[in-house]
Amino acid sequence: MNGPAPIDNSLRFDSFDKDDIFAKKPRLPAMGWNSWNAFGSGNTEELTKAMVLKIKELELDKLGYEYVVLDDGCYHPERIDGHLKADEVKFPSGFKAMADFVHGHDLKFGMYNDIGDRLCSGAKVGIYGYEKTDCEDYIKWDIDFIKVDNCYYMWDNATFADPENAKYSFAPNIRSIYFAGNTYQAVSDAEITGTCAKVKDDYVTFIGTFDGTAPDHSPVGSRSSELVFEVEIDEPNIYELVVNYATGKEEGVGSWLQIAVNDDVVFDEMVPQTESPETFKDSAPIKIKFNEPGFNKIRIMNHRRQENTLHSYTEIRSELEKAGDRDIVFSICEWGKTQPQNWGHKVGDSWRILNDITFQVGADGNHGTAAWECDYTTSITSQYNKAVIMDEFAGLGRGWNDPDMLVIGMDGIDNIMCRSHMAMWCMLNSPLMLGVDLRRVTKGDEIYDIIANKDLIALDQDALGIQAKRIFTTYKCDEPDKEYIRDNNRIDILAKPLSDGSIALGFFNLSQEQKEAPSISCEEILNKIGNKTANKKLFANAKEYKIKDLYTGEEIITGSHDFAAGVLKACDSKVIRISPLS
Amino acid sequence: MTTDEFLKLICQKAGMESEGIYVKGRKEGWLEAEDEAFKDQPAARKNVARICHMYLLKVMKVNDLGISGAKDLKDLYDCRVCANHIAQVYMRGIMDAKNIKRDGEFLWFDLNGEDSDEVNSAIIDRLLLIHGGDHVHQDMNGS
Repeated sequence: MNGPAPIDNSLRFDSFDKDDIFAKKPRLPAMGWNSWNAFGSGNTEELTKAMVLKIKELELDKLGYEYVVLDDGCYHPERIDGHLKADEVKFPSGFKAMADFVHGHDLKFGMYNDIGDRLCSGAKVGIYGYEKTDCEDYIKWDIDFIKVDNCYYMWDNATFADPENAKYSFAPNIRSIYFAGNTYQAVSDAEITGTCAKVKDDYVTFIGTFDGTAPDHSPVGSRSSELVFEVEIDEPNIYELVVNYATGKEEGVGSWLQIAVNDDVVFDEMVPQTESPETFKDSAPIKIKFNEPGFNKIRIMNHRRQENTLHSYTEIRSELEKAGDRDIVFSICEWGKTQPQNWGHKVGDSWRILNDITFQVGADGNHGTAAWECDYTTSITSQYNKAVIMDEFAGLGRGWNDPDMLVIGMDGIDNIMCRSHMAMWCMLNSPLMLGVDLRRVTKGDEIYDIIANKDLIALDQDALGIQAKRIFTTYKCDEPDKEYIRDNNRIDILAKPLSDGSIALGFFNLSQEQKEAPSISCEEILNKIGNKTANKKLFANAKEYKIKDLYTGEEIITGSHDFAAGVLKACDSKVIRISPLS
Repeated sequence: MTTDEFLKLICQKAGMESEGIYVKGRKEGWLEAEDEAFKDQPAARKNVARICHMYLLKVMKVNDLGISGAKDLKDLYDCRVCANHIAQVYMRGIMDAKNIKRDGEFLWFDLNGEDSDEVNSAIIDRLLLIHGGDHVHQDMNGS
């Protein structure tokens, strides 16, 4: 383990917006059951079989819930002869038998691993270094889904990983460069791109990418920074560049330097350490070839936080594809740390956007606990508040923002919150992974009615595959679809175009007190999402609309072009499907 | 103290037979395979927290508290899989946080740290004194 691997140009930051690496079939958000929120590390073969039988009994599979995924805690804690093995007590029949049981009930089987050398639980069976072996085993076990976590990652300061791994994720502090006989100061002669880097005293620091694990930073806009010097040369030639830098091993100041001239990365490696992050020294001369006379850009940067992570996920996906011809959903679970909304589409079907929605997962006999709001990621609204402005990153054939698995059925949240939670996730085209002990659920009970709401599921699984956009919020802001709002004392209105020309409209009262929802006009809706609707003209010119309340099923016909939700109780919501009548 | 020594001490203080404790603990759901696989390694505080919390849940049948009161532990969310274990034992006063001064004063659980034999012995004593609804760590607001 000498350091992160070289990065292919197709995985470079500059290629994030270019074509995907793998031929992906357009796939709607995955639906199913995952063991984590229900049972944590305590899931077993017996419990999983019980969930399979309940999915069939409740006919949840007919609603789209088809994947049964074993999360962390299912493996033997060490490799046996270099291979993964099931925990003998929890899964005595092994993973292939588990897969066969799931497939025997016409469901699909999913598993879990980590891009590091251990799983989050600490089991020493992370996939790093064993990509080929493990993927061949996964194919032998007939998996249909894999969730890949990010604890114990070697090339970043991920959860449990060595905090000093930040040395790979940030450029050193930069004070100046010396080029073609001139000294250029970082603070006065260069442009800082993005919003991560900043000036401190006479140098620039935080040249890298924001850590998106916690809910502190918006996902919208440039989350990475570079230091860009514009230099003029007379003729194409090889020139020498000297960088005045100081290294560190912490968030904001690292030791890995990338240099690009215009679009060509010409230097990408660790530089010798300095005494401290504020003890500067000159690099050895770096020879750089310039191909064009005139003005050129020298970019001082470090995009390795994103590039290394993408590379690691790509290794796994590649090995899965080499190992066999199976259609496998690839669920990226790096918790938004490396801004996967920028690169996740190249390799995965969905990407988590934050740390977990709850840390109080259940166990057999314990429902676990969730929350409506909190100041970290562990609540429904924490996840929603970030996901709701990420619609432009998602799409059919691209992949989906994943605000984590459903917490419906846990303690700490009431049925109104659960219903709003389900509606939010459906409007946001989130994967719908149940996290409840299904033995508690019977047809027609409150949990069932929420998770089995066909009209809401139809929004999530609509063939057009467009995530709802926030078109209005009572919180004062200029761009409701882009501004990251964490004050929950508000009502949001979301609009989602659907394949049959209808539009779903969601009114969400985020606050814990009753509020009157504002109405919104047809014109306002189409101004925001008209370019994405299946038939804007038809919708705009309709004389009447059929409006279906997706909670009650009630339908009305109206000639009004204004749509309202009335008074919403605390944490309540109303979702309507508006269909133009020709 | 190794994990094995820690478990034997629990058995001794709880009046349980230590022979076959790994099989028994796994069957009852309060031990993991890694506890036996790595039994001769030092017991890290995050693993002590997990064992104590799961023992509370599965053996002593003590329900969880809300964890909001443990949010003053600066490293609580560093551990996605053990955050709840840490919060429960901290809020019940079974395990203490460490007060570390760095850019000001803050509480730190020290997930990967190890405790002395005396401290581990005291942790087990406090664990075995817990009853459902028992005391919550002072200054905590568990919901």
